[in-house]
Amino acid sequence: MMKFSKFAACAAFLSVGVSAGALHAQTAEVLHWWTSGSEQAALGEIRKAFEAKGGTWVDTPIAGGGNARAAAVNRMLGGDPAAVFQFSIGQQLRELADQGLLANVGDVAKAENWDEKLPPLIVKAAKYDGNYIAAPINIHGENWMFYNTSVLEKAGVEVPETWDDFIAAAEKLKAAGVTPIGLGGQPWQERIMFNSVLLGVAGREFYAELYSTLDDDLLKSDTMRKVFETFAALKPFVDEASPGRNWNEATNMVAKGDAAFQFMGDWAKGEIIAAGIEPGTTVGCAFAPAIDKAYIMTVDAFAFSAMDGEDATPAQTLMAQVMLEPDVQIAFNKKKGSIPARLDVPADSFDVCAQTAIKTLQDKKTHLVSTGLFGVPSAVSGAIDDSISNFWNSADMSPEEGQAQFQQAISYAK
Amino acid sequence: MAEPAPDVLQRSDDQKPPIKSGKKRWRPQWSAGVALIPAMTITIVCFYGFIIWTFVISLTRSRLLPVYKFTGFDQYVRLFANERWWTAMQNLAIHGFLFIGGCVVFGYLLAILIDRGVKAEGMFRTLFMLPLSMSFIVTGVIWQWVMNPGLGLQEAVRALGWASFEFNWIVRPDRSIYTLAIAGIWQQVGLCMALFLAGLRNIDPNIWKASRVDGIPVWRVYLHIITPMMRTVFFTVFILMSAIVMKAFDLVVALTGGGPGFSSDLPARFVVDHILNRQELGLGAAGAFVLLCTVIAVISPYIYFELKKERSGRGH
Repeated sequence: MMKFSKFAACAAFLSVGVSAGALHAQTAEVLHWWTSGSEQAALGEIRKAFEAKGGTWVDTPIAGGGNARAAAVNRMLGGDPAAVFQFSIGQQLRELADQGLLANVGDVAKAENWDEKLPPLIVKAAKYDGNYIAAPINIHGENWMFYNTSVLEKAGVEVPETWDDFIAAAEKLKAAGVTPIGLGGQPWQERIMFNSVLLGVAGREFYAELYSTLDDDLLKSDTMRKVFETFAALKPFVDEASPGRNWNEATNMVAKGDAAFQFMGDWAKGEIIAAGIEPGTTVGCAFAPAIDKAYIMTVDAFAFSAMDGEDATPAQTLMAQVMLEPDVQIAFNKKKGSIPARLDVPADSFDVCAQTAIKTLQDKKTHLVSTGLFGVPSAVSGAIDDSISNFWNSADMSPEEGQAQFQQAISYAK
Repeated sequence: MAEPAPDVLQRSDDQKPPIKSGKKRWRPQWSAGVALIPAMTITIVCFYGFIIWTFVISLTRSRLLPVYKFTGFDQYVRLFANERWWTAMQNLAIHGFLFIGGCVVFGYLLAILIDRGVKAEGMFRTLFMLPLSMSFIVTGVIWQWVMNPGLGLQEAVRALGWASFEFNWIVRPDRSIYTLAIAGIWQQVGLCMALFLAGLRNIDPNIWKASRVDGIPVWRVYLHIITPMMRTVFFTVFILMSAIVMKAFDLVVALTGGGPGFSSDLPARFVVDHILNRQELGLGAAGAFVLLCTVIAVISPYIYFELKKERSGRGH
């Protein structure tokens, strides 16, 4: 009897061991570039949910997007891929899929009906051959204008709704001794401001058509010249020390009241919160001046390596499912400062700025893509950054010359 | 002073012992050959092999991954139509000239000053060598702060009362390239000084005595006698500094990030940026290959002449 029960105990122990072994199959290595405090905290929410469902998370953080992307690709080519890796969706990811390096998570996507719940533009970018090769987890907006309310009040300036208003307001602010625009003078930040001007002056349809066709006629049009003229008119409104400044330093200038406005993506909210300010109070958020309402989206996504064959492993499937669960979406995005990629999750627990964004995105006409990550091929994206930055920093370049240079750079890169 | 050490005199026209011929010779050469195999394999594969591979890639459409669909010299056409590339190449010339020139001139002057017998020579030597212990990244960050018009030197001088003082090169597209040379020279001048100092200490003291007897002013001795004797040291310094210029990447990343715009970009940064951040493998490879050709075209005549001179000099 005793012997038998011992045997039973042994068997029970073994079976536990075996099922633990089965759980071990749910191990996923996650390669990502989210190393800052708020990013880590946000990713921690996904990790928590993944582990609660029995997954084992192996964390491989690599600082810097370029480095992390290179590492992910190199490991794939070397035959030791990370199961889940952060990547930007779009052309480059499709290139990996072309080589059969990616697994598809189409089954989860179908079961969870991603096609309906994600914005169509993002659906398109995340798919290859009709199957999802990545899980888009959030939406950042790039056409935000953050402003210091008390600085505006002191100078007697309203939050501008058109670029003409903005220029008038900026002149007043400059006369009052404030730097009107806190700009970090790095190419991508200058491009964010340029795209806001483009959207504001030319409208959302022009923006969408320009960047989806890269058409020469549009690039050479009078509308485009007006965009460049408006953009050039902003040059006097930044301070001397702007070139090379990091975006978060510029955000701090606005938070401290040294600068009045900053054109930046909504990740700036993280910095504002870190400065002890609730977004929407002392530092307000509004869309950059524009003739119609739109939201320039950029997306963070995770892709899945082909481990054995192109079907996702159980761990990858579980990860994809967890990432787009409504609860996880809310918890993750509140810490990240973005809004959920799924437009059907309740907005009420988010801050004012995010609520505005979620409400805006319900109208599909407002959906636009950033040229930074997935709107255009990366060669074009780079050419845009280069030529915008060159135009912004060349005091003696006329808007016409800037426009011609922009058009040339794009036509060589596309 | 002690009298001329005969060995110094001997060393100056030193002759290599005649190479013995015959059977005894093959053994050491054979073992040396074996010992060289690993190094040679690495050189051939990692150096020449990858140069060829880079060239092959530059003829393809490769973007994120290497693909072998050949498109002829398309990438070179795109490269040469790229304004940023030409800015980078022009910057390489400016930076190379200023940086190497600055290092040679200041390094030599410092070495001469120390060689004239300053007090606390050891302290000065250490002081000038210290920046060398820092990486280019750290150097870049330090100088970025110093030259930032909002918080560095300009602000400090203005706070002292000189309100019109201006030192804003780092934010001026037409001047930013010079800031690279300033930071680079600051870091490398110590190494050049050490090399020159070693060279100066090797000069036969008899030359100084002779020149003193002849009543030649010190500056002329340096200019017309010592400097020509230091030829090999100048050569070494030039080669070392050229290598640093060609691969200059970290300094520009940390100091200006290539900005404002791309006004202070350098070819190495252009290449890395296009390969890693923009997934333009083909274009980046084309850039790397053109850079290599440029380096060979500029440096090889100098190396050739120097080595030839040395060889024929030895024959006398």
